[in-house]
Amino acid sequence: MFPIQIEKIYLDEKAEKDSVSKTILKALPNIPVETVEDKRTLIKQFSSMSDPIGTGKRYLLITHFYGKRLKPCPGTSNHICCGYYVINAVTNCPMDCSYCVLQGYLNNPFLTVYTNWDDLLEEINYFLSRDKSSLLRLGTGELSDSLALEPIFPISQFLIDFFSKRQRAILELKTKSPNIDSLLDLDHQGKTVISWSLNPPKMIGEEEKRTAPLTTRIEAARRCQEKGYPLGFHFDPILYHEGWEKEYRETILQLFKQIDSRRVVWISLGGFRYPPHLKAIAEERFPRTEVFLGELFPGRDGKFRYLKEVRVDIYRKMARWLKEVNPGLFIYLCMESKEVWEKVFGWAPESSRHLNRLFEERVRGFVG
Amino acid sequence: MIIAEFGLRNAEWEMKTENGIVVDMDIQKIPLEQIDLLDETFSVNYFPDLQKLRSSIQETGLIQPVLLRKKPGGYQIICGFRRISVTKALGRLEVESRVFEGKEMDEFRLFSLSLHENLTTRGFNAVEKAVALDKLIHRFQIHRAVVINTFLPFFSLEPNEKILSTFLSLAQMEDEIKTYVLKEEVSRGNIRRLSALSPDDRMALLSLISPLKLGENRLRELLTLLEETSRRSHSTVKEIAAQAEFQAVLSQKELTPSQKTERIKKVLTDLRYPKLSQLEKAFEKKRKDLDLPFNISLHHPPFFEGKGLKIEFQFETIEEYQIILSALSVLPEKEAFKQMIQKD
Ligand code: SF4
Repeated sequence: MFPIQIEKIYLDEKAEKDSVSKTILKALPNIPVETVEDKRTLIKQFSSMSDPIGTGKRYLLITHFYGKRLKPCPGTSNHICCGYYVINAVTNCPMDCSYCVLQGYLNNPFLTVYTNWDDLLEEINYFLSRDKSSLLRLGTGELSDSLALEPIFPISQFLIDFFSKRQRAILELKTKSPNIDSLLDLDHQGKTVISWSLNPPKMIGEEEKRTAPLTTRIEAARRCQEKGYPLGFHFDPILYHEGWEKEYRETILQLFKQIDSRRVVWISLGGFRYPPHLKAIAEERFPRTEVFLGELFPGRDGKFRYLKEVRVDIYRKMARWLKEVNPGLFIYLCMESKEVWEKVFGWAPESSRHLNRLFEERVRGFVG
Repeated sequence: MIIAEFGLRNAEWEMKTENGIVVDMDIQKIPLEQIDLLDETFSVNYFPDLQKLRSSIQETGLIQPVLLRKKPGGYQIICGFRRISVTKALGRLEVESRVFEGKEMDEFRLFSLSLHENLTTRGFNAVEKAVALDKLIHRFQIHRAVVINTFLPFFSLEPNEKILSTFLSLAQMEDEIKTYVLKEEVSRGNIRRLSALSPDDRMALLSLISPLKLGENRLRELLTLLEETSRRSHSTVKEIAAQAEFQAVLSQKELTPSQKTERIKKVLTDLRYPKLSQLEKAFEKKRKDLDLPFNISLHHPPFFEGKGLKIEFQFETIEEYQIILSALSVLPEKEAFKQMIQKD
């Protein structure tokens, strides 16, 4: 299922001969294709339009990426981070969440796929070969949704196969989509965690345009679990609003009616947060959004968050409801301070490195 | 160039105009009583400052004749509404005019001509631009794309839909709001915010903000606070503005407009951020319980994020310094202080 009608494909002549490009063109027949020599001029033209990010979602750019595509997760200063690495093989996303940070972040508005996979593999290989001691976690869901483009751009299948043969690395595919059909029969060796971002149905309907409904996400997760994939869930961003407790609690109950909690490797909690410039952009694109109506204030890293008191209350309750399902669940907070960890769990990781070690133990105990 | 885009560049136009101003037509003296002053087909005038024009006409007479069109029973003004109004106010009976015959040019062309002549002679304020754009779209049925690409640049505006919508919304606003927009030179961003309100809400807002001295940023802050508070509380801006706290601030005669502005902003901020306001009040209460000397101030971290308190003090003499030290040394024994430090 592809959530949006692509209006045109721009094919960078450098990517013309790649077999991946051919796969994409085959998956999207009857869509006009224009070969481009100079993508920068094209990007510049699009960027000057009104709502370039929204418009860009309907135009697919197939191109090569030069430079580093594997980076430490940007995290945030003064907060505990989980030591994750991000792989960027796609930028922009066909779905359209009102709070999506990409709206204020991407210089290139096109839905862009990078087809020089050999270079990407080389980069990942080199990266993994440098660190032989720890277990590394890498994911593709930073500058896009990991699976939203899978029906036309099967990078996840390719990466699942690649990671299935690696000893000290684990791949996470983070999504709000139902696109798992092509992954079900892969020999993943338990080295890929497929995870879903979850929100209550009302929030999905109001703030997560073109994403899969909650029931569909849970059903997709159940099918992956059936095929032995470890699962992750991210209650992130948690949107604090009137009636949030009932809605999130029901979401948790609904999730674990279908999902075996013992096969869930991690669950993250993250209150809605945003960089200062996002509000104006998002409100222009989504005049009815209510995400910015909360009491959000700038923190030490400049990002706006709910009041600490509110976040602690949210996390405590969420953690309690989750632990009621299974006290053994591994729950962590995304981009939170030590102080908040302490208030929520009664302890805090010493440092980002410490948290990373805890992840390692969890993953090892999980996938062996 | 603009003339060509308006579709006015033809032999007839070339013959009659020079730099967009009509010249090659006979000047006639037309009695004012034959001119229909209520016919505003071609008018975009709003809140004109007639004082300068009045003195100029008084001293030197009319430099540029007005443009009229014959209509059954009299004349219609195409260009020169302000000049005619001043001439009339000065008690004159006639006005120098150039006159078009009834069917000589269609209404859109005459309107374009009037816009062009006005632009050349005096320019337009924001409301006049709005009225002109509104007439182009709604009265003369000019396609939006043509208005965006041709007329917005004519008014020195960027050619895009958002700008057009902003000005069209201004054209629909109440006269009091239009006057405020002109007087306070309200920005387009704030005009857009005003346009999101209902007429009732706008008028209620006006009664709240007109006694204040608001710059662009303060106005934006107040509008945002009001709009967000109204959405959070599911009440109208009118209901919010009617709250007694606002009236209490506005009625305090001893306050300057800037002091009123700050207080109104505080009331609004408390309404918009009730949890933060509660925390601040609780902190303030404890701070008072500490009974600190006036020269010691105690602060919580910004927005209560992070741990710790900050104490600042100031002194000029050894005695003052000693008083501060002894006040600080007894703090750990005070219950309020312990609560502030150990706060969960
Ligand atoms: S699914 Fe993720 S990447 Fe896509 S729009 Fe939503 S938040 Fe952004």
